[in-house]
Amino acid sequence: MNDNDKEKGLEPRREQRDEAAQEEARLIRQAQDGDQRAFEALVRLHERMAFGIIGSFLRRRQDVEDLAQEVFLKAYLAIGRFRPGAPFAPWLHRIAVNTCYDHLRGIRRRPEIGLADLAESEADFLDRYVEKGYLSGGGEADDRLAARDLAERILDTLPPKDRLAITLREVNGFEIAEIARALGCSRAAAKVRLFRARRAMQAALRQLIRQDERDE
Amino acid sequence: MTCRDTENLLELERIREIPAAEQQALKRHLAACHRCGETAKVARLSSVLLGTLREEIVPGPSFYARLRERLAAAGSDQPDSALLHAWGLARRLIPAVALGVLVLAGVTISLGGPSTPRQFQGAHSRDIYAFSLEEVNLPGAVERPSQDQMLAFVLMQGKVRGAGSGE
Repeated sequence: MNDNDKEKGLEPRREQRDEAAQEEARLIRQAQDGDQRAFEALVRLHERMAFGIIGSFLRRRQDVEDLAQEVFLKAYLAIGRFRPGAPFAPWLHRIAVNTCYDHLRGIRRRPEIGLADLAESEADFLDRYVEKGYLSGGGEADDRLAARDLAERILDTLPPKDRLAITLREVNGFEIAEIARALGCSRAAAKVRLFRARRAMQAALRQLIRQDERDE
Repeated sequence: MTCRDTENLLELERIREIPAAEQQALKRHLAACHRCGETAKVARLSSVLLGTLREEIVPGPSFYARLRERLAAAGSDQPDSALLHAWGLARRLIPAVALGVLVLAGVTISLGGPSTPRQFQGAHSRDIYAFSLEEVNLPGAVERPSQDQMLAFVLMQGKVRGAGSGE
């Protein structure tokens, strides 16, 4: 550690990080020995990340909680096979993503969508957007709900892995390497999925906007 | 500003805020170019829609109580953790043991090891090494001398010796 680091106060932060890693390793060892309390403590450390991933695919709180229960139960049953010393968060990411993937595969994909398929609130939202050309970040609550409906409607048309790639990147802020690890594919394959998902989403929106402009 | 520049700026805008001067130039280009205007609308709407999926959900009050119940139920169904560890260890050892057996077998074969002499069986189940003298001498190939021939041979030998001693 150099003097600059000390001046910037990096030393205490690094120490805290090391302590947190040691604590996590201890909890993992205890959980592997069957200690449920230690496992619950591990879950509490990572609940935000797991709920974030699941929440980007499901809307209803109850559904999110049900899938989160599945994720943590799978992790509990598999923790005996977790390699000590390996990073825990990516391992849990992968379980969460796989569980979401299984869920998405069970949903029937929608075919292409047109303006006539939209609910009234979604069509109104789109119409306002096309007219103004932009939306303020805050947005009205109804607009947010309509936008979320529209987002889900469009994402429902994508293949599950493409949908996972774009959601993990744009909603959960994953890096390409993290997406690749979570999807169990190469970085190049993850990039291709992301590119394809973005292009498909933009193509669907372009079609909706053109239809809306024609109707005016 | 070109359409290519606009595309790059829109991509940049998606990630972070762009400087005011560039923002103005972008705005002017988008107003003038219909194609870029539409691309910008689509890109921005896409960001807005995906942004609505970014909702923080925290576990409800009963979440952990329910999880504890499920973990306890799963724990009682699970085999003993010591057994699991032993099985895990055994699973890791299986390839090593298999490799060891293969190496031992290879070494034994290459050093000659215990081997039995080969047995060849001839036609009609006769051992080919169990031959007779007649078979080696190939009877019939050279005719056996007759009794008269043998007597003549002895007399001739006597004459030769007698002639030798008379000199």
